[in-house]
Amino acid sequence: MNAGLNLILAASAALFAVGAFAVVARRSAVLMLIGTQFMFMAGSIAFVAFARFGLGAVNARAGVAVAIFAGATAVAELAVGLAMAALIYREHRSLAIDADRG
Amino acid sequence: MPLIGALPQPITSAPLVILIYAVLVLMLASALASVLLRSTLFAIGAFAATMVLVALLYLTIAPFLLFAVQLLVFSTVSVALLVGLLRRTSGLESAQEPFSREWIVGAAVAASVLALLVLLVATTSWPVRATANAGAGLGATLINSYVIGLAVLVVILASAALGGGLLLAGPTLVAPRPRGPRR
Repeated sequence: MNAGLNLILAASAALFAVGAFAVVARRSAVLMLIGTQFMFMAGSIAFVAFARFGLGAVNARAGVAVAIFAGATAVAELAVGLAMAALIYREHRSLAIDADRG
Repeated sequence: MPLIGALPQPITSAPLVILIYAVLVLMLASALASVLLRSTLFAIGAFAATMVLVALLYLTIAPFLLFAVQLLVFSTVSVALLVGLLRRTSGLESAQEPFSREWIVGAAVAASVLALLVLLVATTSWPVRATANAGAGLGATLINSYVIGLAVLVVILASAALGGGLLLAGPTLVAPRPRGPRR
């Protein structure tokens, strides 16, 4: 038994699918934003896996640097998204994104 | 490009392999719990657990700096933002019925994405190159090669942390005024 590139990439794909499920299936803005965080994290994990095991190993530091930047971008996206969710809540007293449908 | 040095090998050390498998299983389980739980508070807790488990995964396959940044910065700021919003609202319980039409569509989309990605991972022969030491000099690389990106990252994270702090410190949002007929 070993742990290599394919194992980490498969786990990354599964995490991405979980995030996609949250974005498509849930109506709460908070849970949709959590889903986008999972999708960002899946991409970062794939970058780190390639840096450790595969293509990026010649310059592995670049893959790790991309993971750091992706994480910061995810946090920024979360901050903006939560601000929008707060505005939705102020208008409709609900965090559901379709609250304005009546 | 000629290969220099040893090819990157899969991790074969039994305790480390078991740890990686355990972390991956727990990470996926907590991620699933996060999107399936009806209570938003519990969902945020499961999300925090997922972030910590990703940090643990980084600890096993990436430099220590990435583990520390993921654990201390990304996880903390993200959870502070989410808890801050929850504190200002009262959206603890979901009004959505489980296994509704959205859930079925979402599960179908997620299953399709997963199948596509797994097929891609399984059928592709990923090329490998010679191993470089990723951990050594990562900080120097960030400062020398990615200095502008690092500066932008610091500004973004500081802004997000400030927003999280303000959300946590701010009062609960007041109810909107009832909209009566316009005169």
